[in-house]
Amino acid sequence: MTEEKIPDYKKDKKRVDGRKMDELRPISIKVGVLPNADGSAYLEWGQNKVYAAVHGPREALPKHTQNPYKAVVKVNYRMTTFSVPERKQPRPNRRDMEISKVLGEALDKVIFTEQFPNTEISVYVEVIDSNAGSRVACLTAASCALANAGIPMRDLVAATGIGKAFGELIVDLDKNEEDAPDAVDIPFGIMPNSGEIVLLQMDGLLTKEEWDKLVPMGMKACADVYAVQKKALQEKFSLSEVSEKNVEAVIEAKPKQDKEAKAKTDAKTEKKDSKAKKVRK
Amino acid sequence: MKRVVIPGEMVSDQRKRLGGNVFVSNGKIYSKVLGISDESDEKASVIPLEGKYFPQAEDVVIGVVSRVVFAGYGVNINSFTESFIPKSAMREDLRIGDLVSSKISYVNELREAELGFPRKMFGGDVIEVTPVRTPRLIGKNGSMLELLKQGTGCDIVVGKNGRVWARNGNIDLLRKVVMFINDNSYKSNLTNSVEAFFKAEGIQINIAPKGEKKVAEESEVLDAGSEESEVLGGAESEELN
Repeated sequence: MTEEKIPDYKKDKKRVDGRKMDELRPISIKVGVLPNADGSAYLEWGQNKVYAAVHGPREALPKHTQNPYKAVVKVNYRMTTFSVPERKQPRPNRRDMEISKVLGEALDKVIFTEQFPNTEISVYVEVIDSNAGSRVACLTAASCALANAGIPMRDLVAATGIGKAFGELIVDLDKNEEDAPDAVDIPFGIMPNSGEIVLLQMDGLLTKEEWDKLVPMGMKACADVYAVQKKALQEKFSLSEVSEKNVEAVIEAKPKQDKEAKAKTDAKTEKKDSKAKKVRK
Repeated sequence: MKRVVIPGEMVSDQRKRLGGNVFVSNGKIYSKVLGISDESDEKASVIPLEGKYFPQAEDVVIGVVSRVVFAGYGVNINSFTESFIPKSAMREDLRIGDLVSSKISYVNELREAELGFPRKMFGGDVIEVTPVRTPRLIGKNGSMLELLKQGTGCDIVVGKNGRVWARNGNIDLLRKVVMFINDNSYKSNLTNSVEAFFKAEGIQINIAPKGEKKVAEESEVLDAGSEESEVLGGAESEELN
């Protein structure tokens, strides 16, 4: 077996996938994708694909989980079995539970939970496909879904991975970089308007100088994520006037379909009726 | 100028009277929800575009009986908690699935609503809409509601909890128009375009001139509700400071 050449970012000035050091993978978000949820979002972040659904605020059950002073934010982070190269056991493992907990705490910070005593706000995030940084992708999607559900919030949460790989400080690590020998991976989530940090974990070691350089990079990257979130939430609503044609087009298009469908069903029922009559005869 | 704001987006950086769905941080006013901010000189407020029903006193709501016990009935009013109607308040017996219209008399600190003047609703259909968009179904001084009543010939009760009850008349047409209003609630010129639609369909509309007290009680409820929300919003933001 031939050893793969280990990249050196200091020398290459470019990452393995051609990105700059402070460049994110392409992100796209769509909100309101799941009709049965109160709010939902679908996010693609590079290879990561994530669905987030919000239910509630609703009565927290079992009753002993209720808090008479505030709403309980429950996050359910799960990975589908096919989201990773080796099949993931569907049973929630230590990692799933840990991520659910930290995401819940991050979202709890931004929601006005005190407005909803005795209730629970359930957030279900499902990872369909993953390539490092799925928890920050989930947090980003979840905050969009919460806004889509109309839940009062102080701010959105924008998150990204920051860290170090192959000798250089970088933003939004992918799987290659996460597995680098000197890798440092920091999931980093902030409230973009106030700059408060709501999610911070770290895997690896950094010097103080590196840390001081890295945090502003993360803030800048999160601002980019926030711009995408904002656009996704706003694009559904354009403040135009309703034109008369608009109304007629929408309302009249439906009856035609209905009429056709009705005609079909009427025909069917008539047939059935006639059959039934025959049987009776 | 009207614009769409997202949670945490600044509505105004000046001192203003606080309307609904805004909060104050460091002397600046921010939006709490995804909604439309309509800036005026003296007041900052946001009209929400999405959201669940938030019970408030004086709201007319349409409930569905979900539970029958010895002393009364549990009623789902589309809120966070179930409300209760004692048997002594009702003349008729209720069964699970029956519809009840009622005015909320009191909401406690746990957002539990007490229902006053419950009335059983006989027959009719229920159309479910997004609760925060029901004001658009009523319109200014009840203009849209009056239009819908005349255009479809239905008896209509708009519950602020996102349930529209209708009986008699052309309910299929009503359902389509209501869903259209629900989907376009954030746009302007709605009432005129719906009126034009009814006219194009060949339905006679003669709306009483605005200001005349011909409209049903629901419109008064809307006004009361909006005032209530102002008071509430102010109180909440003061707590935050």
